Amino acid sequence: MVVLVRHSQLLLAGSLCLVCLIAQPARSQARRVVHVAAERFAFTPSEIVVEPGEEIELRLKSDDTAHGFRIAGTNVNIVIPKRGRQEVVTTLRVDTPGRYEFECTRMCGAGHNFMRGVLIVRDSAKKR
Amino acid sequence: MKFDKAIYLMALLFGLATAASAQTSADAGSSTGPISGYMEFHLNNPEAQNATLDFHRFVLILNHSFSARIRFVGELEVEHAFVEGLEESGEVELEQAYVDFLLTRAFNIRAGMLLVPMGIINERHEPPVFQGVERPFVDTVIIPTTWFDGGAGVHGEIGRGLRYRAYVMAPLDATEFSADEGLRNASQKGSEATVRSAALAARAEYIGFPHLTLGASFWSGQSNFALPRVDANVRIGEADLRYRHDRLELRGEFAHVTIGDAGLLNRSLQQLTGVSPNIASAMRGFYGEASYRVWAAGPARDMVAFLRYENFDTQYRMPEGFLPLKQFDRSAWVVGATYYPEPDVAVKVDYVVQRNQSSLIKAPNSFNIGLGWWF
Repeated sequence: MVVLVRHSQLLLAGSLCLVCLIAQPARSQARRVVHVAAERFAFTPSEIVVEPGEEIELRLKSDDTAHGFRIAGTNVNIVIPKRGRQEVVTTLRVDTPGRYEFECTRMCGAGHNFMRGVLIVRDSAKKR
Repeated sequence: MKFDKAIYLMALLFGLATAASAQTSADAGSSTGPISGYMEFHLNNPEAQNATLDFHRFVLILNHSFSARIRFVGELEVEHAFVEGLEESGEVELEQAYVDFLLTRAFNIRAGMLLVPMGIINERHEPPVFQGVERPFVDTVIIPTTWFDGGAGVHGEIGRGLRYRAYVMAPLDATEFSADEGLRNASQKGSEATVRSAALAARAEYIGFPHLTLGASFWSGQSNFALPRVDANVRIGEADLRYRHDRLELRGEFAHVTIGDAGLLNRSLQQLTGVSPNIASAMRGFYGEASYRVWAAGPARDMVAFLRYENFDTQYRMPEGFLPLKQFDRSAWVVGATYYPEPDVAVKVDYVVQRNQSSLIKAPNSFNIGLGWWF
């Protein structure tokens, strides 16, 4: 009886480990990677669309000078290093549908104020 | 300055830049303060003329946010280093000083001293951004960069990459048009500018295709406030593209200017000054440029080689009774390289081969070295 209990405990523990192993890569696969290029005076893409609650990984790279990247209404506020230096990576998840404007926060030239874009979190209810 | 001395200077610049970049690449950090700006320092050595050393541009940019949606940007420039009253030397210019009212991504309002939204260079003129020691000829005599004036208007971006600017601005001054430099000196520069009739400036850009930026600009305005009888309406149409993929960048620009009543304008100016300025009824210019990042491993190994062909004619169409001056129908090949010891510092060298259609007057070739930086 004791042996049986031990066996079933081992089986349960093994199953849990297996579930964890399967679940871990599944979660990282689900995270979409969005590459954003910053160059005087535009972000490309300048419009990013996500689903509510979707976690995305933003990979930002500059093709010239250092730029800032801030998404209003979120805690994303980072500096994108100059060309030739590494890209900067941040993750983001927004649950509330809406339009979240992003902009360059570091003076980068005469057209600095044009350097803006928008993160659109879709309204799933509206879609249905 | 002799040519060999110019070579020594160039070698010194490259040597210093390389040594400095070896250090800065180890120290990846850089700092910036509340003031930004850019500077350009040039050595120009035209054929059969004396070489000149010129601190061409010293520009300080100030910005201030009154709130997240109301912002000020100012750009103050000293050209050619030295300014003295009543003499032709340098200039102090207020190139930008505006307040932006940022309402939505699609619709914002801007008022003050504005850059005219025209062509590739006028709004993107920081030295590390363009190839060549001097700006393209087309962006000098056909589109008079840096072109700025007082005005107000709207700007924004619609959908996935359609951007626009539309401003009402002070018009050009037709009495300052010229046969050789086109519209170059005709901006009123926001200095007690006459606005009996305002000009309209507009630009649309599409950045939705990968690697490609397409642009088109338009200007229309009566320029005859000093000569009310002359209907000197100036219209400028411009189209441009920039394609950038991996190490390659291609640029192209075409600009066409028409000046209404140019014949009467010439005769009126002749009555005033005694000399006919021989202003054209149409001017035209275009250029194509290819640049390739020869080294692309980041700071310390970052060099671009480029080749540009330009064709520009400030006497493209003449009013009836006036003949074009062939020396102003010009073309140029510009070949050179830009070394970036740091992405915001550009050491430039180029050689310009200029030609014109005159059999009497020769356009000088020139060898140029430049040092430009953004901070």
